[in-house]
Amino acid sequence: MTTAAVEHGHGPGDEHDHDDGHEEVIYRETTDMRLLGFVLFLCSDVVLFSAFIFAYLYLRGTVDEWPPILNGHQLPRLDLPFAEFNSIVLFGSGVTMHHALENWKHGKVGRFDFFMGFTIVLGVMFLGGQGYEYSHAAIGGWSGSIFGASFFTLTGMHGFHVFCGVVYLAILWWQTKQKHYDQTHYFGLTAGTLYWHFVDVIWVALFFLFYIF
Amino acid sequence: MAVATPTTTPIPRPVLDHIHPEPTGFIRKYIFSIDHKIIAYQYFITAGLFFVIAGLLAEMIRIDLLKHTGVLTPNVYNQVYSVHGSMMVWLVIIPFVSGAFGNFVMPLQIGARDVAFPWLNLAAFWMFPPAGLILLASFAFGAPDAGWTEYPPISLQAPFGTSMWCIAIFLIGISSTLTGINFLVTIFKMRAPGMTFTRMPLFVWASAATAGLNMVATTALAAALLALFLERQFGVPFYNPTKGGSPILWQHMFWFYSHPAVYIMILPAFGIISEVLPTFSRKPIFGYKMIAFSSVAIALLGFMVWAHHMFTSGMAPWLQLPFMIITMLIAIPTGIKIFSWMATLWGGSIEFSPACLFALGFLITFTLGGVTGFFLAAVPADLHEHGTYFVVGHIHYVLYGGSVFGIYAGLYYWWPKMTGRMMNERLGQWHAWVTFVAFNCTFLPMHWLGLLGMPRRVAMYDVEFEFWNQVVSICSFFLAASTLMIMGNMLWSFKNGKKAGPNPWGARTLEWMISSPPPYYNFKKVPAVLAAPYDFGNPLPYIGLDAEPGAVEATPQSTTGLVHAH
Amino acid sequence: MDLAVIERSVALIGAIVVGVFASIALKEDWHAKGLDNNTTKLLLGLMAFGCIMVFFAAIGVIGPKG
Repeated sequence: MTTAAVEHGHGPGDEHDHDDGHEEVIYRETTDMRLLGFVLFLCSDVVLFSAFIFAYLYLRGTVDEWPPILNGHQLPRLDLPFAEFNSIVLFGSGVTMHHALENWKHGKVGRFDFFMGFTIVLGVMFLGGQGYEYSHAAIGGWSGSIFGASFFTLTGMHGFHVFCGVVYLAILWWQTKQKHYDQTHYFGLTAGTLYWHFVDVIWVALFFLFYIF
Repeated sequence: MAVATPTTTPIPRPVLDHIHPEPTGFIRKYIFSIDHKIIAYQYFITAGLFFVIAGLLAEMIRIDLLKHTGVLTPNVYNQVYSVHGSMMVWLVIIPFVSGAFGNFVMPLQIGARDVAFPWLNLAAFWMFPPAGLILLASFAFGAPDAGWTEYPPISLQAPFGTSMWCIAIFLIGISSTLTGINFLVTIFKMRAPGMTFTRMPLFVWASAATAGLNMVATTALAAALLALFLERQFGVPFYNPTKGGSPILWQHMFWFYSHPAVYIMILPAFGIISEVLPTFSRKPIFGYKMIAFSSVAIALLGFMVWAHHMFTSGMAPWLQLPFMIITMLIAIPTGIKIFSWMATLWGGSIEFSPACLFALGFLITFTLGGVTGFFLAAVPADLHEHGTYFVVGHIHYVLYGGSVFGIYAGLYYWWPKMTGRMMNERLGQWHAWVTFVAFNCTFLPMHWLGLLGMPRRVAMYDVEFEFWNQVVSICSFFLAASTLMIMGNMLWSFKNGKKAGPNPWGARTLEWMISSPPPYYNFKKVPAVLAAPYDFGNPLPYIGLDAEPGAVEATPQSTTGLVHAH
Repeated sequence: MDLAVIERSVALIGAIVVGVFASIALKEDWHAKGLDNNTTKLLLGLMAFGCIMVFFAAIGVIGPKG
């Protein structure tokens, strides 16, 4: 307990600090922290969707028939074939994003560019597809029934997340052009990939809940 | 037990954080600071202001209830208690315990130079004052009037102020979630070398459990608020039964957050008590591991009990029994804490500083609140007590007698560290006694008022309840006035308080090993931790710190070094 | 040709292609360590499960009645 008594101080911000010539002080690498923070953020986002999914299932449990009756007629089911197509568009973009990151890690910037562009295009295609789905879904609108309420709110939140993801990926791509990342420091690309996969997986749940179940 | 000497224990390799250069200019130093300590002071001041405002709203409630025919119109009365409750939960207690104490104390206790994401910390704070202003501004548009719980259908029919309430709470919710993520990463990744989880101070354990709750539960509230807002503004049917929605859905979504929220409000207070009691008993904390793990257990169990707020709601009856049983189970880890604290005091050399007095008061009042909570957990009893003043008594015993007492204890305890000044001890002791007596006189009668049948949230009531309501109101004026005692003490300390050294209480956690107030970079050299913090009688378990002049080591002989201010 | 049949066919082929690529990626990264790699594995796995779901929906095995 006595060695603490007198150690000549060094100013804060020293790059290297020698402890009486023994240990060299190392500085904390922040990638681990940022990764944990980002994953925790994704967890909290999962809770957001889970809460609305609970609301959907709860409301669905209050009616005998699904889709529910509106103005005396039962509402139609959603367009499953189109959703199958749009889902593959989104899942495909997940695979292309994975390949983009892998190519970046191995320094193949040209292939990274190709896959990154492909991912963004597929993401925009998905959003366009959702726009098409919204325009021809005949379920009484957002405020017509609990079907519209849960479907448009949940897929709308998801679509908003996809939109933010597309913007995020575009910014990341631009940053790579600015030489902001290299093969050892690319946390932004890791975060973007994880976010994109997260958005993908939420859609797996929503596709099942609204189109299959 | 002896601490192994450095030569036989491997010394952990020190890891330093990059330190940002000290900011210049008033704005970067005090307004938009990324220093966790300054942000903590900002939370203290803002939450303190909201405490005074919400307290004045409480006094309006008590003035109304002086007469059984009421004083305020019911419409105004409903808005007053709704904003009072909303403010106290979201703008006072949670920011105090998490934003203020969590920000100031936790990084220091783990030997860190700041939190994991200082800019995020800044952003999270600056959502707080606007959220409060939006909520207060709602009075101009018809403030929320269905209680802080805002059940539909009333909340669907209320004027625009309720939508403002949705926006305000959504905003403060984002702030809480981001802070929760920030604190969790800080605690997981930035502890000083050698500080294993079982060598962390108990306030840090409490902060970690609270941060987890903040992070997970608050987003569920965001969903409920968003749905309410969408329904009010765009007619999207979630809660309106005439359009297929369900009011009980709101209750499920709201309480899934709001029950963990009460644990967010109390766990840091538990942490504060765990810091204060060993220091002022000059004894190691009893049952460190049990207290640490019980914090986690309470946080986890806290997610499984929300429907005990809904026993009378008309939800499926078979849900009542499981929720009742799990609610009762939470008494176990809580009781473990209470008994451990009592065992800590037992045989100790107790110093009745103001912090210690509030901690002792906490033990009594929080336990009483926990007991009445058990009464409420029992479904048959709850069917009678729900929506009565029995509940109001219970919640104020745990929130005021629990959280606020804990906040007061923490304020007296860490004031010298934050400001470098001692508070007036005599005045602080008077404050503790006046608060304790006034508090009990205010809130104890509410229990029998409730059992006799007085409902809550009513601007006027049966004349048979008038006598005790008048007792409660008069005592509440004393309670409100007692707040002035600590405010005066703070001002006094700036003018006349003795300068505090690094460790006026002779405590053993890391924040007491640096100067008061700490330098902006906290620790010049990162300490290496060799053992647990509460072992009074053993040498300090840290090495590698710059010895500050006047630092007092916490051995039994050092009690003469404690600074008393008069 | 019915639009639904085109959509289903493209989805069917796409599900196989995407699912196979996802499985290959999973196999390659199976032993990778670290929070980022493990999170990626979990999410890719769930996404591959999504492809399986789309496949069965496209051939009409699962889906709403009628």
